Amino acid sequence: MKRNLPAAELARDSRFSRVDFMERARDPRPMPSEGRGDRAALTPDRTNAPERARGLMHGIFTGEIQALEGAGRTCWDFPLGTGSDEAPFELKLDMARQCWDEARHCEISVKLGDWMGTEIGEFAESPFLYEAACNPDPVLRLTGVNRALEGLAIDVFNTMREFGRLSGDPVLTFCEDWMLADEVTHVKMGSDWLRRLTADDPDRRARALEFQRVVDKLFSLGGVRGEDEDSPIKLARRFRELAGFADEEIDEIAELSHQAREELRARRAAVG
Amino acid sequence: MAAPSKPRAAFAPWDRRELPGAFTVEESAARVGHYKWIEMRLFEALGGWVATVPELDVKMRLGTHCYHHAWHAELWHKRLPELREMNPDRLAVPPNAELEAFVDAMTEPEAPELTIEKLVGVYRVLIPHKIAAYTYHLNNTSTITDAPTIRSLRFALQDELDDWRDGEMLIQSLIESADDVDRAIAHQAKLEKLMVAAGGIAGDGSIGSQPQLDEVSA
Repeated sequence: MKRNLPAAELARDSRFSRVDFMERARDPRPMPSEGRGDRAALTPDRTNAPERARGLMHGIFTGEIQALEGAGRTCWDFPLGTGSDEAPFELKLDMARQCWDEARHCEISVKLGDWMGTEIGEFAESPFLYEAACNPDPVLRLTGVNRALEGLAIDVFNTMREFGRLSGDPVLTFCEDWMLADEVTHVKMGSDWLRRLTADDPDRRARALEFQRVVDKLFSLGGVRGEDEDSPIKLARRFRELAGFADEEIDEIAELSHQAREELRARRAAVG
Repeated sequence: MAAPSKPRAAFAPWDRRELPGAFTVEESAARVGHYKWIEMRLFEALGGWVATVPELDVKMRLGTHCYHHAWHAELWHKRLPELREMNPDRLAVPPNAELEAFVDAMTEPEAPELTIEKLVGVYRVLIPHKIAAYTYHLNNTSTITDAPTIRSLRFALQDELDDWRDGEMLIQSLIESADDVDRAIAHQAKLEKLMVAAGGIAGDGSIGSQPQLDEVSA
């Protein structure tokens, strides 16, 4: 088995359809079926709320598959060591633990999809999370995936948990709360490993944080995730603090999301 | 209740544990080092394969089992310094080149069409050999002096037995034709030969050695 499997080779059964994330992210047209064109908060009183929630849940499901695959590849892709193309034994153990957690999240997501009336493959999959897990430096993988994308997962799960609470769905609320606990652990893993592996290498830390910024902005989903009253996905400050984010780091993510939202508005205005 | 000051035997009547065991500290440490090495190779391979199998149930199961074997590797890693090996990496090695060749062959299948081969290598060859070696160690080390190793062996064996059953059921669910049976058997035979050449996951003596008949009769 080779090292570093490209996203194009991720194995899927015939139900899955893959689309390029950048195409979707740059598409200014509203896509109500996925909720991405609706910039309002995800609340049960919206007429398209069930459809949006189902689309989001399916996105969570495919994200969990890729998170499982990414953590698994980090176990395999690197020889033992502390160099920029190596991984310490304990880091691999953490990634194996994450594999188990993400496998459970896949199981939960499949069952929640059933619960919400969604079939596997009903929505398209973008391999964006796995692509961030293809970085040849394990520290950049962990900042891109564990801190940026799993951080996004904290925001998404918190939003879905609130949606479940508001809509009186105890199953959704229960499951999202459990997955949220795991995500905080994963983000904290990313924060801890970033500090440990770059303690004596400020350049590597700077590269890792820059990679995280790029991923954070790219996957703020055109500003869908933010702190505005009508942000569909709310930035979960409290949980991010638990996961090792400093206040200024959270402020920066909020600002990146705001910028992404303004840029999307400008693109839409240009299209007319 | 008997008076608290009344002397009692140090060992309860039902406790028949004995001091002697088949392994010295060094022998137990050497085996534990080999265990760590093979558990690492296994969890790394399972993690790598997750992305290469299209079957969703297999994908999720491999992710779960990946952690089981990582945890076993951690157990053995922590046991080594307790067995006077302060540099755990020194003993975390394969017992011989033949076992390395086995692992290379086991991890070779990559294409999404090769799920049967991936599972057969792990669940019909490697894990049965791990169960055998762990059981031999469990049954023959000193139940008093090497109790910490026994405790870890029992935890690991419970996972191995559960995972063996999981994996075998996945294999049975994937084998649907005579051709599939032939594929599974051919791959198992290829890997089993390599494992026999290695003598098991801890090398020669992985499950003990058969005494010569004249020794038995003597």
